Amino acid sequence: MLLEQLINGLTLGGIYALIAVGYTMVYGVIQLINFAHGEVYMLGAFFALTFINLLGLPFYLAFLLSMVCCAVCGMLLDMVAYRPLRRSPRLAALITAIGMSIFLQNLAMIIWGSRPLPFAQEAVPAYFEAKAFTLAGVSLSWFQLFIFGVTIIMMTGLNLIIKKTSTGRAMRAVAQNKTMAALVGVNVNKVITITFALAGAMAAAAGIMVGVYYNSLYPTMGYIAGVKAFAAAVLGGIGSVPGAMLGGVVLGVAEALGAGYLSSLYRDGISYAVMIIVIVFIPAGFFGKLIRETKKSL
Amino acid sequence: MVCRRLTLILGVLALGLALTAGPVLAETIKIGVAAPYTGGAAAYGDNIKAGVNLKLEEINGAGGIKGKKVEIVWGDDLCEPKEAGTVGSKFAADKSIVAVIGHLCSSATLAALPIYVRSGLPCISPTSTNVTIGKVGKGWFFRNVYRDDFQGKFLARYVSKILGLKKVAVFHENNDYAIGLKDAFVAEAKAVGLTVVGIEAYVAKTTDFTPQLTKLLTNKPDAIFLCGYYQEGALIAGQARKKDFTGPLFGADGIDNADYIKIAGKAADDTYMTVPFLADAAGPEAKGFIERFKKSTGRDLDWMSANAYDCMGILAEVIGKVGADRKKIRDALAAMSSADKGYKGVTGVTFFDKLGDCQKPAFVKMVKDGKFTPAKQM
Repeated sequence: MLLEQLINGLTLGGIYALIAVGYTMVYGVIQLINFAHGEVYMLGAFFALTFINLLGLPFYLAFLLSMVCCAVCGMLLDMVAYRPLRRSPRLAALITAIGMSIFLQNLAMIIWGSRPLPFAQEAVPAYFEAKAFTLAGVSLSWFQLFIFGVTIIMMTGLNLIIKKTSTGRAMRAVAQNKTMAALVGVNVNKVITITFALAGAMAAAAGIMVGVYYNSLYPTMGYIAGVKAFAAAVLGGIGSVPGAMLGGVVLGVAEALGAGYLSSLYRDGISYAVMIIVIVFIPAGFFGKLIRETKKSL
Repeated sequence: MVCRRLTLILGVLALGLALTAGPVLAETIKIGVAAPYTGGAAAYGDNIKAGVNLKLEEINGAGGIKGKKVEIVWGDDLCEPKEAGTVGSKFAADKSIVAVIGHLCSSATLAALPIYVRSGLPCISPTSTNVTIGKVGKGWFFRNVYRDDFQGKFLARYVSKILGLKKVAVFHENNDYAIGLKDAFVAEAKAVGLTVVGIEAYVAKTTDFTPQLTKLLTNKPDAIFLCGYYQEGALIAGQARKKDFTGPLFGADGIDNADYIKIAGKAADDTYMTVPFLADAAGPEAKGFIERFKKSTGRDLDWMSANAYDCMGILAEVIGKVGADRKKIRDALAAMSSADKGYKGVTGVTFFDKLGDCQKPAFVKMVKDGKFTPAKQM
């Protein structure tokens, strides 16, 4: 049973990691916890639902199209809600983020109704249900492998973008010091927009996979996933992308093991308790940096 | 300056008076109907709406009750105790509402009932099955559905005797309805020799049940008891089937909903459920209603719609006798204490005991090939 619970946990953890990375990247560049990120994840799932159920598009096309739409949503979110408040106190942007979260939830309720919706049965490729292979009595379905695969590819891809491309270098520069980055010629607004687009695309991927895996989409699904992913990002060190990935996996495994071995009723409480214990001993999270508040000179 | 302020205040006061005077002068009888109309349990609310509206058409089509039309005030409680309290306060404060049909979920009814008791508003529920509600109601609560102690016992006996199973796993939601039902089931399971190999709980809106299912399935149960509502039940069914569980699933009244099949798809097959009303076993009075329901909603009759239809019928008959007064309605309902004084509706004869509970038989339905069909009755 331990192996099976670990696999349950890794599946959950991969999803949390995908969303957590979005939180952490946005925090890295503009020091804002984008509370509306969970809603982008939810919109990704609903866009895919609309493309598949209503327009009859094939699964992979709907997947990619939905990621593109959510990237656009992320960019719009930044341009409409956060960019005007770039020079305002941090609190204003935070409240706006919460406001956008509520707004998007209710918008989804108006457009798609508040009832949980399933994907049409024939829409998802049938081989997803089939067993890929069995390992020590535990079987993995093709869809679970798909989730692992997509998660790993996206994480590696993101790491490559951040470490090896000039855009990634610009992102790291803006995260280090926005003013200096602007002084050396980085187009800060463009970098921030790209960050939001990447975060949105990854959240959309997570949303679609969760939607298909559990076959239940509802407008408030972003809230719970968002809170857990935020906890994961904090656990890994907010602002650190590898930290968010690790934090997501740790949180997912803790939740699955907690639900399996300790108490299924308090599974959410157990995963947050794990986060609290880690934070108490490692205040900045796994890979975070403790920054002392100093007087800003620029 | 003062003159303008004064005129403004007087204008607002006049408007306010005009608005409050409105409802008092209206010539309709208002009845509140509380159920979840949005959210994860909204499909139940659809059923209540369908049943109540069908009866409402009949009543208003015949000219209303003693010439006054009946008007329904819908209260959305989202199947949550907090919202139920809000809806309850709203109904209780509106003096033109003379009775309430509701609530649907036992937790919601338990939350709103003290408000109704305090303000003296009679409440009749078509669906709340928890055992403790009658005591909380203190004479203001009635229901035309059976209780969970009866249902839990019936289910345990059915699973053991008719389905012939030996080991079951229980998966229940952490609310009043499911805990009461689970307790009744487990107690009777012990008495009939049915082994309960595991009990897991979940909270509402959970979507991932895989860790708990992994734990339950290691004990190799013959069947899983979906002790909760259709949304989570459907997800559990789907995830259990993905984990190669091929045995039957069974549940109680909460599972009987078209959305259970819609969400679970093929995984819903081979699910049994106890219900207070089965169209195929209904008497001749129900036949006309069953057809009208099918024609107006396009789906087969479920037990919640039938019970809601009868609740509306009971209230209409009582209000016709004693008029639109809260206390008189309550007294008249309490006076329906035996079969000959009861109400004859599509769900049989309804009469109430001292706690407002009633005796009704249980039937068993199952899902076969994506459709609801009657199962072997006990």
